Amino acid sequence: MRQFLNERLPLEAFSAHLRKPLPKHINLLFSLGSLAMFLLILQAVTGAFLAFYYSPSPEHAHNAVTYISTEVPFGAFVRGLHHWGASAMVIVVVLHLLRVVLYSSYKAPRELTWIFGVLLLLVVLGFGFTGYLLPWDEKAYWATVVGVEIASTAPGLGDFVAKVMRGGTEIGAVTLSRFYALHTIWLPWLAFGLVGVHLFFVRYYGSSGKPENTPEEMKTGKPFYPDQVFEDVVGMLILFVALAAVALFVPVPLEDVADPTNADYDPRPEWYFLFLFQLLKYFQGPFEILGTFVIPTVGMLLLLFLPFLDRSERAVLWKRPIALTVTSVCVVGIVVLTILGGTSKKLETTEAAIQETTQPTEQVQGAATPDTDAETVDEGEAVFDFQLTEEEIEGAVEVEEGQQ
Amino acid sequence: MEKRGRRSFLVFSKNWATAFIGGIISLAAGIPLIGFAISPAFKKAESKWVDLGLADRLKNSRFKKVDYTFTAKDGWVQATKKRSVYVTDVGNGEWSVFSRTCSHLGCLVRWDENQESFLCPCHGAIFDKTGAVVAGPPPEPLQKLETKVEAGILYVKET
Repeated sequence: MRQFLNERLPLEAFSAHLRKPLPKHINLLFSLGSLAMFLLILQAVTGAFLAFYYSPSPEHAHNAVTYISTEVPFGAFVRGLHHWGASAMVIVVVLHLLRVVLYSSYKAPRELTWIFGVLLLLVVLGFGFTGYLLPWDEKAYWATVVGVEIASTAPGLGDFVAKVMRGGTEIGAVTLSRFYALHTIWLPWLAFGLVGVHLFFVRYYGSSGKPENTPEEMKTGKPFYPDQVFEDVVGMLILFVALAAVALFVPVPLEDVADPTNADYDPRPEWYFLFLFQLLKYFQGPFEILGTFVIPTVGMLLLLFLPFLDRSERAVLWKRPIALTVTSVCVVGIVVLTILGGTSKKLETTEAAIQETTQPTEQVQGAATPDTDAETVDEGEAVFDFQLTEEEIEGAVEVEEGQQ
Repeated sequence: MEKRGRRSFLVFSKNWATAFIGGIISLAAGIPLIGFAISPAFKKAESKWVDLGLADRLKNSRFKKVDYTFTAKDGWVQATKKRSVYVTDVGNGEWSVFSRTCSHLGCLVRWDENQESFLCPCHGAIFDKTGAVVAGPPPEPLQKLETKVEAGILYVKET
């Protein structure tokens, strides 16, 4: 059998390639790429199985997800693996990126490996964004409303892009259908294509090793197969056991079915978008676009072209003061913003206050009853930023009378 | 020499350990995933009595085609199902209600009054008025549904 295959396929060459020695001093951090790959496969497999029971329509999606979680054998576990796997994926991909920054592995000749890696990070975030609309619960709906609105603030084509994302002017059946298509067809194809190119570059240039490795040490470490593969597989086992434990013991949240009229709901994105959510609070009025478009876009472009911006000698991060400062500020900034976003107080409103928010509009339209009930409402004053003053209401009455 | 022997033992062990761990992960993920996918096959079909209408109106010595609907749980949906049967009363309060689904490959059979047979348009199956196979490839007779009459209404048991 082996001879048959050897005569037809370059197995010996492939085997020799796999057994090529890695650089010396390769540590566990070098398994993060393999773990990301493992999670990508796990997400693809669990997602493909979840698709057996899912229906991407507003009438069915929430019921289908409830059915998966409560009635299908192993359904809660499979959904748990997929849901928590997405979070694990973001963590592992970011740690992988930080490892590459730490050892300055993105420098020449590995610029292309880095660029395709950053593109994969974007695809992973795209998976997250398109994925959490699918249960069609309150969180899904409102986080997507906000996400698409963020896209609409992009100068020039923003509104057009938002309409394309929604498949119209509001989030509904067409949005859910296209997010499902993106999540299950377009992004997986893109991801596996990018992984293919990324892996090609990884194997072509070989592992970067540590910056302090001498040229001799770059060729005299343990072989990729079986030594590194074994360590990677042990890492995968530990990760899988942890993920399975979380999937078994931590129920995946599913909120009430999406209600576009629910003013009580405080939208919050998934934890990995909380930093952006928090950032948006600091840019108000004409500066809104800084938080929604300029900072994320510039940040991503800087990350993408990092190998061409940082042309310093290859060295470990703490010997590169500028890189260390920028990386630390970014990491600490994102962590702090995420914590602030996660712990930010939700808006406390009373039923009376919610009803009250509609009052001023009615008064302007009717322009006849200046004595509002607002005086009787003590709580939730922050809600009434747009509350009309008596002068304004009288002004509106005068304008209307003038028109008559 | 000894060093090489130890190295080849290590390689051998790592190969098997890698394969073993890979197998464990595949099984730990694979068993729930396969169970998840094939579970509908083990789900018992729910049976229920479905109202076909007034027995007096359905009394007929010839087979009468009756289409009816009923609601049943279909996954996460309470779905309206459509069915079609042939009904005849055979006297003494007995009823014959045949499913129109051919026992061969599921096409819908038609009652032919002249031949007094059920004919399948797909592969030429012929069933007599008791539902028995007369000709063609079906391995089994037509499915005869359980019936009951209560308060003058004919019910069939849907499974």
